[in-house]
Amino acid sequence: MINKVRDLAKKWLKGKEVDAVFGLKEQGGYIAPYLFTDANELDNLTLSTDYRLCYTCRPSKENILSLMQRGEPNIKIGIIARGCEERALIELAKRGQIDLNRVKIMGIACTEQEARECKCEKPYPSSLVFGERVEGTAKDDNVNALLNKSLSERLAFWRYELSKCIKCYGCRNVCPMCFCKDCKMEQEIYAKTGWLPPEVPMFLFIRFYHLSDRCIGCGECEKACPVDIPLLTIFKLLRKDVKDLFDYEAGMDVEQEAPLLTTLDETPMREEVTSGV
Amino acid sequence: MEYRNVLTTCPYCGVGCNFYLQVLDGELVGVLPCKSHSVSQGKLCIKGWNAGEFVVSKERLTKPLIKRNGHFVEASWDDVLDTIVKKLKVYRESYGPDSIAVLSSAKCTNEENYLMMKFARAVLGTNNVDHCARLCHASTVVGLVRSFGSGAMTNSILELEDADCILVIGSNTIEQHPLIARYILKAKEKGGKLIVVDPRAITLTQFADYYLRQKPGTDVAVFNGFMNVILNEGLEDKEFIKERTEGFEELEEVVKKYTPEYVEDITRIPKDTLIDAARAYAKAERASIVYSMGITQHTTGVDNVSSSANLAMLTGNVGKASTGVDPLRGQNNVQGACDVGALPNVYSGYQSVADEKIQAKFEQAWKAKLGAKAGLTVVEMVNEAAEGNIKGMYIMGENPMLSDPDISHVRGGLENLEFLVVQDIFLTETAKLADVVLPAASYAEKDGTFTSTDRTVQMVRKAIEPPGESKADWQIICDLARTMGSSEFDYESPAEIMNEIASLTPIYGGMSYDRLQQGGLQWPCPSKGHAGTPYLYQEKFTRANGKGKFFGIEFKEPAELPDEEYPFILSTGRTAFHFHTGTMTRRTELLNREVPTGYVEVAPQDAKKLGLADGDLVSVRSRRGQIETKTVITERVPQGMIFMPFHFAECAANVLTNPALDPVAKIPEYKVCAARIEKVSS
Repeated sequence: MINKVRDLAKKWLKGKEVDAVFGLKEQGGYIAPYLFTDANELDNLTLSTDYRLCYTCRPSKENILSLMQRGEPNIKIGIIARGCEERALIELAKRGQIDLNRVKIMGIACTEQEARECKCEKPYPSSLVFGERVEGTAKDDNVNALLNKSLSERLAFWRYELSKCIKCYGCRNVCPMCFCKDCKMEQEIYAKTGWLPPEVPMFLFIRFYHLSDRCIGCGECEKACPVDIPLLTIFKLLRKDVKDLFDYEAGMDVEQEAPLLTTLDETPMREEVTSGV
Repeated sequence: MEYRNVLTTCPYCGVGCNFYLQVLDGELVGVLPCKSHSVSQGKLCIKGWNAGEFVVSKERLTKPLIKRNGHFVEASWDDVLDTIVKKLKVYRESYGPDSIAVLSSAKCTNEENYLMMKFARAVLGTNNVDHCARLCHASTVVGLVRSFGSGAMTNSILELEDADCILVIGSNTIEQHPLIARYILKAKEKGGKLIVVDPRAITLTQFADYYLRQKPGTDVAVFNGFMNVILNEGLEDKEFIKERTEGFEELEEVVKKYTPEYVEDITRIPKDTLIDAARAYAKAERASIVYSMGITQHTTGVDNVSSSANLAMLTGNVGKASTGVDPLRGQNNVQGACDVGALPNVYSGYQSVADEKIQAKFEQAWKAKLGAKAGLTVVEMVNEAAEGNIKGMYIMGENPMLSDPDISHVRGGLENLEFLVVQDIFLTETAKLADVVLPAASYAEKDGTFTSTDRTVQMVRKAIEPPGESKADWQIICDLARTMGSSEFDYESPAEIMNEIASLTPIYGGMSYDRLQQGGLQWPCPSKGHAGTPYLYQEKFTRANGKGKFFGIEFKEPAELPDEEYPFILSTGRTAFHFHTGTMTRRTELLNREVPTGYVEVAPQDAKKLGLADGDLVSVRSRRGQIETKTVITERVPQGMIFMPFHFAECAANVLTNPALDPVAKIPEYKVCAARIEKVSS
């Protein structure tokens, strides 16, 4: 598949269909996100589920794609996107962070093994170009095991897990959907500053709530957690609740208003939509 | 448009996490964890995540500065180098080379530390070169060398995960080495036992199977108590003792009297808890000891370290995976700075300056006459400066005005110098006292290598250009050496310097950038084909006769104990959110928000007695000085003990600390001094 991806990317660049291709590059023994502007370099383009592309940069709290689009207002960027990456792009566009019109998506499907490793619910983009579409898993073993436990057992489980938190903010930092300029996690009412572990679970829970209709289920937060708090388990449960309650799934449709961005009389709220691009 | 990610090694602690620096059109825009890195595995602590922010601080030094009439003015590189060289030559000719002292830096790369010690020895002609390892793990280097043969972590970070028992003593691992704590918690989740020994109820204690809260400064008694129980119950590894060690009888003789009752008297640890913990450690298939400055920063630092080695050898827990004695090094490259010889008594690879053959080897390689007498250590340099015996001092990337004990004395010493050069990325408290300040590049602006706490040498890669006229430390040292007239400092790149290190340093013999670009290598790595060494002493120890040595060590009291005038034990340390003298972390918004300034932890019972409430402004006083700070009333500290983090210049804990030294390692006793505390009436 990688050769097909490289060939199409070269065609896009050479044919001036895009000005740059955003993908992963293998260089000197390591793999990392890279913006290809020279077709000759595309032989180093590689595929890996280790990295996403649309990370939020800090301390600016701007998505890298948003910084690129702002830096060169006319640039058209081709993006090699898996299912989660496409969902991130859609949700970022919906929330005014990026301009989808200046993005051309090359969709690739994840293999069954990749989907299993990421515990992914939808391991393919809607604009599938390469790869075989395989079905994901809505629940994982952790979720099933938890739902079979009593409430007090579940509480004990989460008490222990959250007591490990070292307040690295990694779950937030790595999240493509965490771009708030004024982050709730940093407010002292949710966790005493300078103290470990956060005394009350609200430090993490306020982020869970805030992302309930944004989380695109990429699992990057769980992978970034130094103490292995099963964050994806929480988000899978939250995503299910949002689906059941509001018939809404983050990252599916750019036109569909997010429930937390809708007022009681169902007119969309626009306050979150900033002039990001 | 250009966007790339440059893989590098974190500049904070000694864990050696890797991350990418995100660079967009030449600007540093963020940090991204590296999932393929062996230890960090895509995870970082709060400091690592924010390691890009200070790099782009507006306060970075961008031009050489020279002090005129008490004020700094900008100058050209040529002018400042001329000034420095003239002064250094005068001192060297008039007072002898030992009138000059050099502080190298655990923040700088291996290549830079190597060059700095080469400059001191081959160009200036003095062995007066040391660095802050003296203040954190000098006792490790001395203690583990005399017990095992090498002064470094015996095992690897990742092995901790498979230990059946981990004894953590004097290490606040969750806060200071979070990505190592990860593997301690994993071991625990796999069913391993966790023993935590610490006077403070640190975060890790909440996960401990056994928490032993000793009186500060009684660690030797704790170790002897463990060994007494083990010998009493026949839990020692007799075969290991017989085959691999010497000096057992001496140990046995001393340990006899440290019965659990006697140890309880000294340490306040209930005897039953001690017995249970000792059994858990001794009965484990694979047991590891993890320690840090809680045991090293004492006048008995070497005794403490050797005691940990005694315990490990007694139970045969050395030379196998997931066992051993693991000192956690504080700085990103404090291991490396020691490895490449930024120490007054050894060249790179711990090769003694007093050994004639070694001296001849370096004289030939460097084409210079070298001295066989060991130079001065950090605290001794300050003392000699105060006496007027050191005239000129060159400090690279260190901040003794906050990090050294008894700061008023440090200030006196540095102010008494005729000439002080400071090379740094910020105008630190120390740089403010300098006659010349040289602007250096940060880790993000240069190539090189750092050696992490488990002896892993890893690449540091240049992501962006240094600001203004600042230059990489290795380039500054080369310029300086050339201006001094040396022709032995013509290096094209750090890779070339590493080749020289490898050629002269057996433990680094197989290192080269070609190999390191593919991933880290653990020393000893003696040859090009050698894969590196995850754990030491598999077959034999590296002492001359190949045996590990037991030392019978008696408990000794700390140098200064509480009395009527100063009734509290003051202990110092760090917080999870700041690093050392705060030069980098206090220029990082999120970290400042977590902990904006210093404080003193006071136990609730003591607070009640003194009529103190949380957040009260208090005066903390010792025989060295006095500072004002706010209280944090907490059960983290036991009654009779107070604790202060040392990061903060406005309420510097080291104004108070005792510069009493371990007699061999010359490490100061930061962990125990006598102090008094009283409310400041507003």
